[in-house]
Amino acid sequence: MLALLLVHATAYVCAPLLVRYLGRHAFWLLALPSAGTAVWALANAPGDEPLTRSISWIPSIQLDITLHMDQLSWIMTLIISIIGALVLAFCAGYFHDDEPDLERFAAHLTAFAGVMLGLVWSDNLLLLYMFWELTTVLSYLLVGHHNDREESRQAASQALVVTTFGGLAMLAGMVLLGLEAGTYSLAAILANPPEPSAVVGWAIVLILVGAVSKSALVPFHFWLPGAMAAPTPVSAYLHAAAMVKAGVYLVARFSPGFGDRPEWLVTVLVLGCATMLIGGYRALRQHDLKLLLAYGTVSQLGFLIILFGTSTQAAGLAGLTMLVSHAIFKAALFLTVGAVDHAAGTRDLRYLHGLGRRMPWLMVASTLAGASMAGVPPLLGFVGKEAAYASLLHGEQWWSPIVLTVAVTGSILTFAYTARFLYGTWGPGTETTEPTPLHANPVVLTAVPVTLGAASLLLAPISQYGEPLVQDWLHTLPPIDHAVHLGLWHGFNVVLLLSAVTLLAGYLLFHGRTAIEMWQRAVPHPAPAVVIYRAIMQGLDRISLEVTGLLFKGSLQQSLSLILLVFVAFPGTALLLALIDVSGRDTVGLRWYENPAQLGVAVLTAIAAVAAVTSLRRFRAVFLVGFTGYALALLFLLHGAPDLALTQVLVETVSLVVFVLVLRRFSGHFPDKLETKERVWRITLGVLAGAVVTGTAIIASLSRTAAPDSTNMPRSAVEFGGGYNIVNVILVDIRAWDTMGEISVVLVAATGVASLIYLQSTNMRRLRGNLAEERRSRRQTRIDPGTTDDVGWLPALNTLPPTRRSLMLEVVARLLFHPIMLWSLYLLLTGHNAPGGGFAGGLVAGLGLTIRYLAGGPAELRAAMPVMPGVLLGSGLFLSAGAGLASMLAGGDVLQSWTFDIPVPLIGDVHLVTSTFFDIGVYLVVVGLMLDILRSLGSALDYRINAASGRQIEGDYEPMGERR
Amino acid sequence: MNQEFTMVEINYWAIAPLLVVVAGALIGVLVEAFVARASRHNVQLGVGLVTYLAALVVLLAKSRTEHGLTMGGSVVIDGPSVFLMAVILCFALLSLLVMAERFGGPAADAFTPMGAATPGSDLERSAESAGWGTTEAVPLMMISVVGMMLFVSSGDLLTMFVALEVLSLPLYVLTGLARRRRLLSQEAALKYFLLGSFSSAFFLFGAALLYGYAGSVDIARIALAIGAASPVLDGLLLPGVALVLIGLLFKVGAVPFHAWTPDAYQGAPTPVTGFMAAATKIAAFGAILRLAYVGLSGNRWDWEPALIAIAALTMVIGAVMTVTQTDVKRLLAYSSIAHAGFILVAVMSFDVTGVSGAMFYLVCYGFTTIAAFALVTLVRHEGSEATDLSQWAGLGRRSPVVAGAFAICLLAFAGIPLTSGFTAKFAAFAPAISHGGAAGAWLVVIGVLASAVTAYVYFRIIVTMFFEEGAGDVVAITPSTLTTIAIAIGLVLTILLGVLPGPVLEAATQSAQFLR
Repeated sequence: MLALLLVHATAYVCAPLLVRYLGRHAFWLLALPSAGTAVWALANAPGDEPLTRSISWIPSIQLDITLHMDQLSWIMTLIISIIGALVLAFCAGYFHDDEPDLERFAAHLTAFAGVMLGLVWSDNLLLLYMFWELTTVLSYLLVGHHNDREESRQAASQALVVTTFGGLAMLAGMVLLGLEAGTYSLAAILANPPEPSAVVGWAIVLILVGAVSKSALVPFHFWLPGAMAAPTPVSAYLHAAAMVKAGVYLVARFSPGFGDRPEWLVTVLVLGCATMLIGGYRALRQHDLKLLLAYGTVSQLGFLIILFGTSTQAAGLAGLTMLVSHAIFKAALFLTVGAVDHAAGTRDLRYLHGLGRRMPWLMVASTLAGASMAGVPPLLGFVGKEAAYASLLHGEQWWSPIVLTVAVTGSILTFAYTARFLYGTWGPGTETTEPTPLHANPVVLTAVPVTLGAASLLLAPISQYGEPLVQDWLHTLPPIDHAVHLGLWHGFNVVLLLSAVTLLAGYLLFHGRTAIEMWQRAVPHPAPAVVIYRAIMQGLDRISLEVTGLLFKGSLQQSLSLILLVFVAFPGTALLLALIDVSGRDTVGLRWYENPAQLGVAVLTAIAAVAAVTSLRRFRAVFLVGFTGYALALLFLLHGAPDLALTQVLVETVSLVVFVLVLRRFSGHFPDKLETKERVWRITLGVLAGAVVTGTAIIASLSRTAAPDSTNMPRSAVEFGGGYNIVNVILVDIRAWDTMGEISVVLVAATGVASLIYLQSTNMRRLRGNLAEERRSRRQTRIDPGTTDDVGWLPALNTLPPTRRSLMLEVVARLLFHPIMLWSLYLLLTGHNAPGGGFAGGLVAGLGLTIRYLAGGPAELRAAMPVMPGVLLGSGLFLSAGAGLASMLAGGDVLQSWTFDIPVPLIGDVHLVTSTFFDIGVYLVVVGLMLDILRSLGSALDYRINAASGRQIEGDYEPMGERR
Repeated sequence: MNQEFTMVEINYWAIAPLLVVVAGALIGVLVEAFVARASRHNVQLGVGLVTYLAALVVLLAKSRTEHGLTMGGSVVIDGPSVFLMAVILCFALLSLLVMAERFGGPAADAFTPMGAATPGSDLERSAESAGWGTTEAVPLMMISVVGMMLFVSSGDLLTMFVALEVLSLPLYVLTGLARRRRLLSQEAALKYFLLGSFSSAFFLFGAALLYGYAGSVDIARIALAIGAASPVLDGLLLPGVALVLIGLLFKVGAVPFHAWTPDAYQGAPTPVTGFMAAATKIAAFGAILRLAYVGLSGNRWDWEPALIAIAALTMVIGAVMTVTQTDVKRLLAYSSIAHAGFILVAVMSFDVTGVSGAMFYLVCYGFTTIAAFALVTLVRHEGSEATDLSQWAGLGRRSPVVAGAFAICLLAFAGIPLTSGFTAKFAAFAPAISHGGAAGAWLVVIGVLASAVTAYVYFRIIVTMFFEEGAGDVVAITPSTLTTIAIAIGLVLTILLGVLPGPVLEAATQSAQFLR
């Protein structure tokens, strides 16, 4: 069996080449694998023991290639291979050599034959699903063959969506079933069905959804008429004989194990009956012959599902007979339509006139097939229908009579639309009286339908000899009291009467066809399922659009709100629970404040914070935010930490300066004017998020179980670090490694800011050149004081235009700069014991530079500090790291510090701690950072602002691309 | 301070792959500084390829067997971390091949000639005409890979956080470096950065709370602390868990933390998008798996419902939003969200098969994704990428190979049998049904429905490509050998993992056991 599948695969691969060299005649060759399979199957009719081949494939998900052919599969194999061979042969006459994409079409059709075989041979559920989905995809590709037509494309994707959906449902069902049964082997599951449970019930329903969607049962029936956009051979093969039977096959396959479950019966019988009637009813008013047949197929599929779903031996036998006869007559009829279409160029029965005499063979063949479909004796369809009636008539369930009524009614409709089909094709046209012009058909177009028509006739009398061939499979189904057998003649009985009624009523329906057509047009139709399908698809589009519009407009604020909302919702709820839990305990150690002044500061801070977020001007917002920072410093001070407070104040001031430097480039107002509603929402969310963070902090501090690390620090700071300023000792000694990391980061950040703004090496070179010039002129001045043109308070003021100068600022800068620098050095050196330190000192020096810059611009800054910032940064880091290394060289650990007291004349003992060198490094890095910020954010933005206002100023920055 | 300081044991063989990539990244940085601009592209490419290959060789030859905790428990080398590291390296290798595509020009085609230049400025134009390129992308990516590898093997929350930042920061930068549609790219980078910073802050906040709870950031110690529940600290546990998970779910792109995904995917240079989609997802899921299965499994009853809801939401929203997308990259972004949901389903099974299922899914998804995004880079309209779906109409006629390859990727995304997508989905869903209880079964049902929706979308693209007439000026250009190799590997594996997933699935199963 595996070999046969491989032969098909090979044919699939070779098909495009064959078509390229042989044209349409390649189909003859491509029919060989199917024909071979037919021969093999005929020679290997399985008896008691099914044929099985098994190869382990993916053991970890229990997916094995287990092929298995019992009698049910055998029947399907015969249908697939024989009809397949005939259809492929038919294609050789049907297509023209210049048909576009014929290579692809041939390959897909060949592949389909193989895949379909795989489907009916699979014993493993997952393997079955794989073949199942492959048939879906191939069907899609085949239906979409005429892809230049919009209708064809739509039909193709419709069929694909519906059957894929069904397939996925089926997969879910199969996995559920497989897990419940502990195996994915069909044979094992059916031999030993799992105990009924809710899971098994769901599994069955899901599997049936797959079967129902594939076999185009209500409510999925609309895809099949839609798929008629496919070339006719495809319709004949996939949509009549083989693929749509997959669902029927699945129902038949599972019926021995699950046929008695209520969920099974309800689904199968209700949908089967509804489909049989709706399909037949809709077929009565089609003008397109293919559509007529398609609705007929829908109806017949419903019938087949009823028969197999009933799960009795008798009904099973009837079902198999109908399965075979349906495959034969429907293929014959479709191929006839194909041949007619090929010759006449239309398949609208209103425009076909006078064909019968000119295509006698086809007419006979299709009449035989049609009669078989209508259940006229002595044809195979009649045999099947008799068996079906008999099995239902003798059914032992309360619903058997109802189903029988439906079956009879459906068959009446079948007769009527069959007659309509035959009369419409071969009889006179209603819209034309001219004989439809024809051109000649190749012989094969006639031969294949004739073969099939003849089969409908010839198989009928020998049908009873087929019974033993399927007996073993039938015995897996429960028997009913009355044995049903195949045959043309069972004597006069109720069944024969029912057949007669069917024929008679069908004839009457056909006779009154015009009236019925009119009536059908007059009666309002319930919304066809296709409309519902479209509505669902459009609904999906709509929902998607709406959700996109609602949740995701690409707005950052909105995305952030969503995240914050989740933050408030999940951790917030958990927090609330924790708070309740904590407050219930008596050991609550929460002190709201220690000093009323703290309360006052907190209130002021809160007011400033609220004012900051409601402010519409940027500057005001920045200052208010700065205020909260200063207030924090005040809190530190109140807590008795002047060193921390000093650092905080300095950091705050520097941030403010940086803000102001950057804000010069922005407009004064925040750009967005928010609606009140939006504002309220944002404020609420902000307050909530803040509350969660605060609450977490409270919870965290209340949950403290260990002593804080800081209790030992005052002692160890003196003992090990040799200083009384704990903050400074932490920075330069206890956590010196951290500081080292931090100053490295500061260095990288400063360099990053500078390089982002200077961008190009030319700018850096210009700056370097300017600085060198500055140093040179300084030396010059020192040697020869007379040459200087320095006339003002500050050395480099002449570069500024007079309008930009401010005498006040110049005087202040002149007076303050040197004291500030001195103070910064003082802070640096005394920092170990008093508030201060390298970090604070560096910031103070930076502020001094800022004053010079504000008073005199970039040139003044150069004059104040004629070095590259990189020099300061680099030497700072070198000093700090060097201090660490030196301590290692001296035999200690990295960054260990020693204390020396050196007597210096006049001053007294100087208390020297080696970590001071480390601190000097920090100082240099911070000064370098400030210089970098002033140069890049200050000078470069100066340039841009001036450029924007049309002024030009001599500066360190001039971008290459923007030179005018 | 008074305790004796003990040296941390470091098993250098165990962390050798990480060290190799770190070294490669540093060499890459030096190359930027010292190698002439003209030859940087080739040198960087060589350094990158050698680094990844060497790391992979070291990992498979040596570190694979060095299971255990090293660096004081900061790094855990166990089955999942070795497996995921190997996969990350493979993805990095493939992505690098795609990133280096030049299409005959002087520099990598996807990247801007000068990242710092204002879009549309003279400066940018002069850089362009000088033939500059952002060769920094290669070391940046290597640094990101270091972060990813560390992320999946980190044994404590702090290392995890550092890894998170190391992997994220280069990605933020890379996102902003697209050559075309610069403003979109920069906006994407900014959004990604801002939202990413928030999520990192959440993670850190949560880690701090968990530290408060357990007195340690070690994942194993946290697990112990949860086992020995102490009521005083309970208030810290759940908020901590929630915050840490938010941080991780953000990286995965789970709803409602997915907002960055479409923008970042669309704005980033397409090869970077492919890398991000494949590798970031792996790294983040690696971390989630470790946390969920090792660290926090003790109180999973408390947070499982929320995660189930997130998984369901992720699948549904991801699938539904895919429907309206008109941009290929955005569409793939939403589909990646849905895929994240599918993987979460596997995670929620809380069984060792769930780990292997999730890992296998990540492998399958990653290879297909890299190939898919590489194919997107080939479809051009007047020289720039044609990402609008309407431009893809009729591509199947003009460039059948590219369209066919893309169709294979789409079929895999849809989970059609005989592609990796099917086996992956099966491997992910089966544990959820068998071990996830009722919730697992429901998640699978939702997952199947969501797959149906996404399948509809993918098929629609196939219809557009093959069955619609389109303007003739959108064509697929011919890629260089390197890109072709990358695409071919991705496609071959997409099919191979669908037809013969055995070896990889076996490997995933064997390395699914976390070291506790």
